Amino acid sequence: MSGPVHRAPLEAARAAEGPPLLADEAEGVLRESLSMAEADQAEAILEAQDSSLTRFANNEIHQNVTARDHALTLRVIVGKRSGTATTHRLDSSALRQLADRALAIARLSPEDPDLPEPAPPALVPKLDAFEAATAGSTPEARADAIGSVLRGAREAGLNAAGALSTSASLLAVANRRGLFVSQPETYSNFTCTVRSQNSSGWVDRHRRDVRALDVAKLGQIAVEKAERSRDPQPIEPGRYTVVLEPAAVSELVSFLTSLGLGAQAELEGRSFMAGRMGQPITGERATLTDDPFDPRAFGKPFDYEGTPRRRVVLVENGIARAVVHDRRTAKKSGAESTGHACPPPATEGPQPYSLVLAGGDQSLSDLVSSTERGILVTRFWYCRVVDPKKTIVTGMTRDGTFLIERGKLVRGLRNLRFNESVLEVLRRADAWGRELEPTVFDYTYNCVVAPALRVPEFNFTGVSPF
Amino acid sequence: MDEILDRALNAAQLAGASYADVRLVESRSQFIEVKNRQVSALQESGTMGIGVRVLVDGAWGFAASADPSTAEAERCAALAVRIARASARFRIDPVTLSPLAPAVTRWETPIEVDPFTVPLADKIALLVDASGIMERESGVKVAQGNMQFWEDRKSFASTEGARIEQRIVNSGAGLTAFAVGDDDFQVRSYPNSFGGQYESCGYELVRRLDLKGHAAETAATAAALLTAPVCPAGVTTILLDGAQVSLQLHESCGHPTELDRVLGHEANYAGTSFLTTDHLGKLRYGSEVVNIVTDATTPRGLGSFGFDDEGVPAQRADLVRKGRFAGYLTSRETAPLVGLASNGTMRAESWAHIPLVRMTNVNLEPGTWKLEDLIADTQDGIHMITNRSWSIDDKRYNFQFGTEVGYEIKQGKRGRLLKNCTYTGITPEFWNRCDAVCDASDWEIWGTPNCGKGQPSQTMRTAQGASSTRFRDVQVGVGARS
Repeated sequence: MSGPVHRAPLEAARAAEGPPLLADEAEGVLRESLSMAEADQAEAILEAQDSSLTRFANNEIHQNVTARDHALTLRVIVGKRSGTATTHRLDSSALRQLADRALAIARLSPEDPDLPEPAPPALVPKLDAFEAATAGSTPEARADAIGSVLRGAREAGLNAAGALSTSASLLAVANRRGLFVSQPETYSNFTCTVRSQNSSGWVDRHRRDVRALDVAKLGQIAVEKAERSRDPQPIEPGRYTVVLEPAAVSELVSFLTSLGLGAQAELEGRSFMAGRMGQPITGERATLTDDPFDPRAFGKPFDYEGTPRRRVVLVENGIARAVVHDRRTAKKSGAESTGHACPPPATEGPQPYSLVLAGGDQSLSDLVSSTERGILVTRFWYCRVVDPKKTIVTGMTRDGTFLIERGKLVRGLRNLRFNESVLEVLRRADAWGRELEPTVFDYTYNCVVAPALRVPEFNFTGVSPF
Repeated sequence: MDEILDRALNAAQLAGASYADVRLVESRSQFIEVKNRQVSALQESGTMGIGVRVLVDGAWGFAASADPSTAEAERCAALAVRIARASARFRIDPVTLSPLAPAVTRWETPIEVDPFTVPLADKIALLVDASGIMERESGVKVAQGNMQFWEDRKSFASTEGARIEQRIVNSGAGLTAFAVGDDDFQVRSYPNSFGGQYESCGYELVRRLDLKGHAAETAATAAALLTAPVCPAGVTTILLDGAQVSLQLHESCGHPTELDRVLGHEANYAGTSFLTTDHLGKLRYGSEVVNIVTDATTPRGLGSFGFDDEGVPAQRADLVRKGRFAGYLTSRETAPLVGLASNGTMRAESWAHIPLVRMTNVNLEPGTWKLEDLIADTQDGIHMITNRSWSIDDKRYNFQFGTEVGYEIKQGKRGRLLKNCTYTGITPEFWNRCDAVCDASDWEIWGTPNCGKGQPSQTMRTAQGASSTRFRDVQVGVGARS
């Protein structure tokens, strides 16, 4: 089935604490793939990943998985036509088939007047994104770390569920113009929900270095929230001052990505930024930057076209400043790519991946203690767009919603539904936290680093029975 | 291939597994998207790999690799056993699987036209033509058409003696018109949102949809929405089209009847469920006209198969019968915990993922009404059509949905077009306000290609069959502030 050409070096590369593939091995695969493409231009992307996840529920480990995968995507260009194909096999016969298929697709495709040529070679900044301890994480170590949380919850008469995950990956891009870039990286996440009979608490942390996740201490945060929110009471829907923890702010801000921070959305007129560049779109305290070099933001130094990523100030003191570009939107707009091409087929165009919302000077406890009456929101859940141009989103609170009175958390509240404009939230926010926390979103894998916020007049429209 | 499966199972057993299964899956897909007569995405993907799942000392381990060789099969088996041993140290109750007669058989999705044999040029030409028709409508900024095809070839074997080969073929296609106005953005899809309709079938779906024949109306409606009045706020009767009922079923019946959610397995991610086991057979979930089944044998259903990814045969079971909560979606692990046997709903996204309890086809059985009679019988209400927005809490009680279009109903007649339609409610209260379901002539099995669940997250293709359905006293017009 698989030929011998690449398997031996790939296997050899997999030291316990190393990346799933070394840069020179990735370059070998990419060069061989590019050489097989009988086309005017060719571009290839190789992603390799070892990922593991230990999952627990009801105070026991119930699922525990690991997977090793790699994917090679080849795009060939013949005149104004292009074709793209992906394989998860890396032997020579698979590369031959991949080249043939991409070429066949290109020849069958209509001419594309906006087709950009592949990126020129460029130096990319070095990014320190790989931690051997994360790559070398073992199932035994993950179980041991989780064990303390399971014991703690059981002894407290509570029920813990969550996951500890680690991954090591390598992304490499090459093209026939001579470009080759690669980046190894690691990622780890601990997420935990602790439930009592009628309440729940939650914690969620994302780090490159699994050793930075103090699982036992983090689990205690979830325990305390579950205990504190016991016997939650209903509150009438309406407008309340809210203190949003960083995860809740990140969830809201993440919607700005798909609603209009990429150039394609702007070109198609669906972006909230369209026609408003240089104008105020939200509050003057709001500055939103895509910063792949912020160490908290899980950035990559180049995009899926191999273009070096730039730091882009998208919203500065409430003023719409820029959207991010890939080579296609840059060509259409007469701009330069900012290095934000997404993985093929990239139907939504370029997107920011490492958003950072600038913070303020107050601690989370400052935000609570200075609130006369309001609601503390640990996180939001199942948020969806209601009005894209107005950035109105609906969703629910979850796993720790509290009534604040005279600067103190006085009791847990039943979960509430909200309908709110993200830009309005940032405009009305009157107190900004100083501790910024990253959230990496599953499915899209983009990261938002955000502070806690206090927001008056937050619009709750419904309540759940729990 | 048999040797790879055998080597994995043997290695697992030799390492100490009391049970093991192995899935070798080869998948391919084709995705085509056309915007304003230009091909904006055209990609073919192929993947093949092996996943080994083992039980050791009553705990699970799983390891997978994109290299389905005998050596990797053995490595994965040994690694899965090591992982299971780590799990077993923190296992309270050992996993017990419900009994299963191992099958040795083969199953294929019935198709008329293999979508991978239809010339690419023909597919592109159809989408370009349909897109061109939509593009003529002023106000439509982006005229989009897409097609998507999947083929999964699955080999399943277990230490209990099962050997199952399956070929599952799914097809999808649709149109979307995006209209942009002053501070407004409206969308109209055909025949459904999320890229159209998806079925377990071949290219015959695309021919049946007649994309070109529906392009003009789709675009015209998108443009008309820009000047349409906003859905009023209040409490009224709503009539949902089958596609919207389909998503309502998915979110408010399909997910809460997943037994793993009920038992807390998803408490940290997808959530739990209000349909706890004390409610089984007792709770009045809906009105007498509400009958909901899970049925993995539904013809053309995107969630149809011969066997699930534990080797359990596809089957049909009641979830709600005459309004009463009647059953769960189950697996071999979860079913015995409530005294049941698996009804075959364990599905994995790929070789790299473990199977989870997933929806297959969750169907609201047809009622007795003709759609025109139901509209004529409605004095005052809103006819809401095609999902645009969906949100529900983590126990599946409080939901809010939005639709692409709505039409006023006044004195039994359909009136003005409305935009930004939304409605909200609490699941059992809502389904108890259901007083009419349309008959089989209005019923369709709607595909949902993007159902998310699990850690690591998995995307699954499910379906929900439904016809137009009426609900009384529903809060509408939520959230769309001017």
